[in-house]
Amino acid sequence: MKFLIHVIATVMIGFVLQSFLPWWTMAVGAFTVAYLLGNKGLPSFVAGFCGVALLWVGMAFYIDALTHSILTEKINRLLPLNAFVLTLLVGGMVGGFASLTGALLKGKS
Amino acid sequence: MKVVKIGLSFVITLVLIYALNRSWNFGSPIPPLGKFLNPFEGFWQNAETKDVRSETLTLSGLKDDVIIHYDSLLIPHIYAKHDADLYMAQGYITARNRLWQMEFQTHAAAGRISEIIGPAALDYDRTQRRRGMVFAAENSLRVMEADPIAKAMVSQYTQGINQYIASLQYKDLPLEYKLLDYEPELWTNLKCGLLLKNMALTLNSGDKDLEMTNALQLFDKALIDLVWPDDERVGDPIVDNPGGWNFNPITLDSVPLALPDELVTVKPLEKSPPDVGSNNWAVSGAKTHNKAPILCNDPHLNLTLPSIWYVVHLQSPSVNVMGASLPGAPAVISGFNDSIAWGVTNAQRDLVDWYKIEFKDATLREYRSDSVWKDSRQVVEKLLVKGGEPVWDTVTYTHHGPVLYDQRFHGDHEMKHYALRWIAHDPSEEILTFYKLNRGRNHADYMEALNHFSSPAQNFAFASTNGDIAMRIQGKYPVRRKEEGKYILDGTRSSTEWQAFIPNEQNVMQVNPSRGFVSSANQFPVDSTYPYYINATSYEAYRNRRINKLLHEMSDITPRDMMELQFDTYNLKAEESLPTFLNYLDTAGFTVAQKSAYLILKSWDYENSVDSEGASYYEAWWDALFPMIWDEIKNSKVALDYPTTYTTIKLIKENPELVFFDMVDTPEKETAREVVQLAFVKGVEAIETWKVEQKKEPRWADFKDTFIGHLLQGLPAFSYHVQHGGNHDIVNASSRRHGPSWRMVVSLEKPVRAWGVYPGGQSGNPGSPYYNSMLDFWADGKYYTFQFSAEPGALKDRLATLTLKPANP
Repeated sequence: MKFLIHVIATVMIGFVLQSFLPWWTMAVGAFTVAYLLGNKGLPSFVAGFCGVALLWVGMAFYIDALTHSILTEKINRLLPLNAFVLTLLVGGMVGGFASLTGALLKGKS
Repeated sequence: MKVVKIGLSFVITLVLIYALNRSWNFGSPIPPLGKFLNPFEGFWQNAETKDVRSETLTLSGLKDDVIIHYDSLLIPHIYAKHDADLYMAQGYITARNRLWQMEFQTHAAAGRISEIIGPAALDYDRTQRRRGMVFAAENSLRVMEADPIAKAMVSQYTQGINQYIASLQYKDLPLEYKLLDYEPELWTNLKCGLLLKNMALTLNSGDKDLEMTNALQLFDKALIDLVWPDDERVGDPIVDNPGGWNFNPITLDSVPLALPDELVTVKPLEKSPPDVGSNNWAVSGAKTHNKAPILCNDPHLNLTLPSIWYVVHLQSPSVNVMGASLPGAPAVISGFNDSIAWGVTNAQRDLVDWYKIEFKDATLREYRSDSVWKDSRQVVEKLLVKGGEPVWDTVTYTHHGPVLYDQRFHGDHEMKHYALRWIAHDPSEEILTFYKLNRGRNHADYMEALNHFSSPAQNFAFASTNGDIAMRIQGKYPVRRKEEGKYILDGTRSSTEWQAFIPNEQNVMQVNPSRGFVSSANQFPVDSTYPYYINATSYEAYRNRRINKLLHEMSDITPRDMMELQFDTYNLKAEESLPTFLNYLDTAGFTVAQKSAYLILKSWDYENSVDSEGASYYEAWWDALFPMIWDEIKNSKVALDYPTTYTTIKLIKENPELVFFDMVDTPEKETAREVVQLAFVKGVEAIETWKVEQKKEPRWADFKDTFIGHLLQGLPAFSYHVQHGGNHDIVNASSRRHGPSWRMVVSLEKPVRAWGVYPGGQSGNPGSPYYNSMLDFWADGKYYTFQFSAEPGALKDRLATLTLKPANP
C-alpha cells in the first residue's frame, strides 16, 4: 500500500513540478516523496522509477494519441531506441535514483 | 556505510541529471536526452494536430489591433490598420511557423554554420565570409536604412520576429533547436539583408571565368566558339524586338584582354546546378477565354523542407496583396494584388569577375593599381565552433572586392590572390521594389518599382487587370566590352574594371508584344540588335521553346490550360536527340536487356511522365553519355567548363567526328557514333542494376526519385520521396533534388482569381500536419484556389483567428 502511495505521489508531484519547471525538478519531487514516506531502499528505487516512468510515458502516450503519432514515427527514425522506451528509461532512472537517495537519507536519520 | 550509500546514490542522481541535461557527440550528435525526451517540454511538445487555437496576444509597438485569419492551408490573412503594424505582424506570424529555417538560412549566408554543427562546416563558413556575404548585406542595409519606407518595413518586421522569440520557452522552441541543442538569437535588420544576398548567391553568383581562361590556353579560339558559344541562337530570346532599341547606349574604349599566363588548377567554387531555373509567362486577354490576362510563375530551386516559400495575404489601407514570401524578408516576392500580378525567373547574366591582384608583399596590405600601391582593407573574422575553440580568419578586401584564397585559406591553390567582383556586393534596395510592387496598380507602377531592383537580376513578368502584359529583365548590369568578363581579368589595371552600368531605362523590356504573350525560361535574353554585349555561364534551350510553341498555338486559354502547361512533361531534348541516338546504334549483338530497352525507347512518346519507362532509359543513357563525351573535361587537371546539353547534342548530330568524341583512355579513335553506343550499353546496365536493387520496373518517377530534403542535409526522418514526372530541360522542371518550388497562376479578372501550390506546407515543424500538407497536391499537378478578399469576414474554411493587440493601448 505504501508502495502504491509512493508511486502515485511521485506521479502527482512530478506532474505539478513538470508543468512549470525544467525536467530535472521531477528528481527533486521523487526525492522529497521518498524522504517523506520513508520506504526501504529497493522499493523506493522501484517506486521512484515507476512513478516518473509512468508520468513521462503516460504524458507521451497522451500526446502521441492526440497527434496520431505524427512526430513519434519521425523521431523513432532518429533515435537508436524507440522513443517511448527511451523516455521510460531516462525518466525512470533519474526518478529511481532520486527516490533511492531520499529513502536512504530518511533511513539514516 | 550508510553515508557512503547515500553519497553514492546522490552522486549517481546528479551525474545522471548532468549527463542528460547536455548534448554529446559520439560520432553523431546526441541531444540532451533528459530535456529532449521529457514530454512536458521536450520533442513531444512539438507534435501538433490540425487544430489551431484561436487566441489573443499582445505585441508591444503595435498602433492598433491586427486580425489574422488562418485558412485551411494555414495561410495567414493579415488585416492591419497601419503598414507598420502589418509588417510587424508579418514578422511575428512568419517566425511562428518558420523561425528555425529563417535563422538557419541567415546563419548559412553569414558563414556561421560551425556554431551549430561544429568544425565540419568551417571550410564552408570561411568561404562564405571570404566571399563577402556579410559585407554585401551590410552594404545593402546601409541603403535600406537610409530610406524611411524600407527602414520602417524592415525594422517592424524584425521587431515582430523578436517579440516572438522573446515569448519562447524551451518547450516552444522549434524541433531543430532541441535536436541540435541551441537557442535562437535575436533577429536583426541585417539578417533580412543576408537573406536576400543568399538568394543572390543561389541565383547570380555563377561564373566560368577560370574555366574559360584555361580553355583559351588549351584550345584554339574557333574550337572554343564552337563548343562554348556565347549565344546558342536557339528559340526566341526573352524579348525579340529587332531594331526596337532606340537609345544611345554607353560605349567604352575597348581594351585588349589581359590574361594571366598560368593555368589555374584550383577547383572552382561550387556552382548552382544547371537545373536551377524558372518559368514565367503572361498571356494577353486576346488569347484567353475570359478576355483577361493570365500570369504564371514557377521558380525552380532546391526542393527543401521547410519550404523556401511561405504564402501570405497582407492587407492594410495601402495594400491588399497575396503570394509567396521569403521567410526572413517582409512583403510578397511573387504574387498578385487586386490590380496586378508579377512573377520572377532568374536572368542569366555574368555578374561575377575575378581580378588577379599583385600584392606588394606577403602581408597583403598593399596592392598595385595602375602606377600606385593602394592600401587593402583587412577584416578579422571570428568563427565560433560548436564543441571547440573559436577560429580566427583575416579577409583582405581590395577595391574590386574580397580575396577568396590566400596563404591563410587554400593557399596552395593557384587561384590565390584573386579578388572577387560581384554585383551583390553593391548597395541595393530590393525591398523597396517589393513594397511598391505589392501596391502597384498598373504598368507604370511596375516600371517604377523595378527601378529599385539591382540583384539578383530577374526576369519580371507582369500582367494587370487593365489588360497590359509585360516583361522586364531587371538588374544592375555592368556595361561590357565584347568578351569582357568571360575570362579572368588583370587587377593591376583600372582599365579592365567595370566602368559603367546600363541605365535602367536601357534594360531589356517589352510591353504588350504583338504575339500576345511574354515569357521567360532562363534563355538568352534579347535579339542581336540590342546594343550591349551579354554573356552568362549558360542559357536554357528547351523549356523556353516548348512554352513558346504551345503559347503560340493556344487560344481561348483558361487557367486550367496554364496549370497543365506548368505541369507539361514533354521532353523536347529527347525529341531532338533520341532519333539520332537510335540511328547511331548498331543493334546486332544486343543482349536481351538491350534489345528490350531499344524497343521501349523506339516506341516512347517523349513524355517524362510518372509511369514512363522510356524516360528512364533515355535519361540513364544521357547521364552515361554526357560525361563520356566530355571525359577530357572531367579528367582535366585544370578547371574547364562543361558545354551545354544543347551544344553537346548539336555536335553529336552535326559534328560527329569532333576531337572531343574520342575517348582519351581508349586506344581506338571514337566518333559520336561509338560513344553513343558505349553509353547505351552503360545506361541499360545502370537500369538493370537498379531493377535488381529496387526489385521493380523502372518507372520514371521511381527511377528519378524526386526527393524533398530537410535543410539539415536531407535528414531522412524529416524528408519525403514523391512520385513526380518531369526533369531538367522540361517545362515541369522537377529533377531529383530541384524543381518548381512554387507554382502560381493568376487570372487578372475583376476580381482577380489565383491558384497556387508548393512542395511542402506552411508550417516548418516536422511535427505538424501542415509541414507537408501541400506536397501531394504539388506532386499531382493540382492547385489550391487562393482566397483573396480585402474583407476579413469573407474568408471561408477559417481554421483559427489570432488577434494581436497593442501592449499599451
